[in-house]
Amino acid sequence: MESTKYSVVTKNLGKVYKNLLKDDTVALTDINLEIENGEFVSIIGPSGCGKSTLLKIIGGLEKPTSGEIIYSDPENKLGFVFQDSVLLPWKNVRENAEFPLVIQKKRSPENEKRLDELLELAGLTEFSTALPRELSGGMKQRVSIVRALSYDAPLLLMDEPFGALDALTRDHLNLQLLKIWSKTGKTILFVTHSIEEATFLSDRVLVMATRPGRIREIVTIDLPRPRNEDTRNNPRFAELNKYLRELIG
Amino acid sequence: MKRHGKTANFLRSIGEYVLSIGFFILIWFLYTKLNDVPTYILPSPDQVWSSFIGLFTSGLVWGHLWATTYEVMLGFLIGSFLGIVLGYLFIKTDWIKTALMPYLIFFQTAPKIALVPLFIVWFGIGVVSKIILIISMVVFPVLAGMMLGLESIPSDVKNLMKVLKANRWQIFSQVEFQYALPSLFSSLKIGIVQAVIGAIVAEWMSGKQGLGYILTYASSTYETPMLIAGILLTILLGIATYEMVHIAENKMLYWHESKKE
Repeated sequence: MESTKYSVVTKNLGKVYKNLLKDDTVALTDINLEIENGEFVSIIGPSGCGKSTLLKIIGGLEKPTSGEIIYSDPENKLGFVFQDSVLLPWKNVRENAEFPLVIQKKRSPENEKRLDELLELAGLTEFSTALPRELSGGMKQRVSIVRALSYDAPLLLMDEPFGALDALTRDHLNLQLLKIWSKTGKTILFVTHSIEEATFLSDRVLVMATRPGRIREIVTIDLPRPRNEDTRNNPRFAELNKYLRELIG
Repeated sequence: MKRHGKTANFLRSIGEYVLSIGFFILIWFLYTKLNDVPTYILPSPDQVWSSFIGLFTSGLVWGHLWATTYEVMLGFLIGSFLGIVLGYLFIKTDWIKTALMPYLIFFQTAPKIALVPLFIVWFGIGVVSKIILIISMVVFPVLAGMMLGLESIPSDVKNLMKVLKANRWQIFSQVEFQYALPSLFSSLKIGIVQAVIGAIVAEWMSGKQGLGYILTYASSTYETPMLIAGILLTILLGIATYEMVHIAENKMLYWHESKKE
């Protein structure tokens, strides 16, 4: 059955913004996607190509104007990581990560235990009582990822989560994200404006074009896993980057 | 070491206060003694002090102090509650905002003191008209603070709550209220000062209770030491109630940037 293999399928998805005085803006048109369970897919493209809009539509934060989305999870539970960590400043690290469990009334001992394991995995255990204002940007984003994973949604959507961080922190977090991904087996959809980041992380990279926002090509990244520092020195890594860069133009 | 430094700083700032006020009282004292100023114009500090103590030892002041404190507290609590509720409704429901905003702007810009005679006609000279005046002075700043606070919530926080499928009450109690707190507390501090002003003014105009009544009584009988002692007492009441709000703010906003040491 289709629903068991694919985490998300989109069919002819489109988004049009009506304008009062100008012509309508076509933000997205004919988006057909099949994201497999456990897959890591990145979305890249020039600014204004609608990559964030696409992610928001899949995340249920915006409504498409045409087409449909089919989720494998009947409740379409998903985790969303925003560009800014949006931690609640009055809650400490653990309370922030636990927040979804509180909202969804799922604070079972089992879930609490998994939360502690996730915090451990993200290297946050010793900061669990720190307030967000005491954390660096990279640490905040790690908390935000743990929060998105805390309620065990099968699908994780990430909207330029490391865009505001410096290059070193970003590389470090990329490695950590891959570690978390392989441990938890989540399906990840990852929007970024960094070609290298997309290549380094993904199974497939979705390249989008602008005006109207559409899929130009879906590139399979055939780099071996597990990926680590050596991956960046692989000649194939440079080739793929070059190919993607030319695609975006 | 750091702790010691803090205590020393605290003591020094207290010392500076005492010195500054002491100097002022000394000049006041010398001025009244050297110029033989009549007591009904400006009593000397020691006369004011003994009148101040007298107010308490005679037991005269307690009823009045309680009456004013009671009005301030009740009016402030009701006014703040209304301000918070209205602020929330205004942000959430456009038609309520459209329907009520003109009246609230009218109410806010009208000098509320001018409405006191009307309140007295409507609600009598008892405590009700005073409480209503205080509420009218507290509601608007709190309402404005609540609206500003709710509008300052980052849009991604709203998106997060949507992803988590939180219900309205959860969104309000877990996120919106806390995000509104910093600007809400700024407005509550304005509100509590307004509440004391409202109580005193209302007491000038009606009734035989409260610190405002002591002031008008002392003024009309030329008991100037008692008048100044009464003024001091209203200032102290103002400081005490303001500090209560301030302490609550420090407790509830421990996480805020402004409370960082």
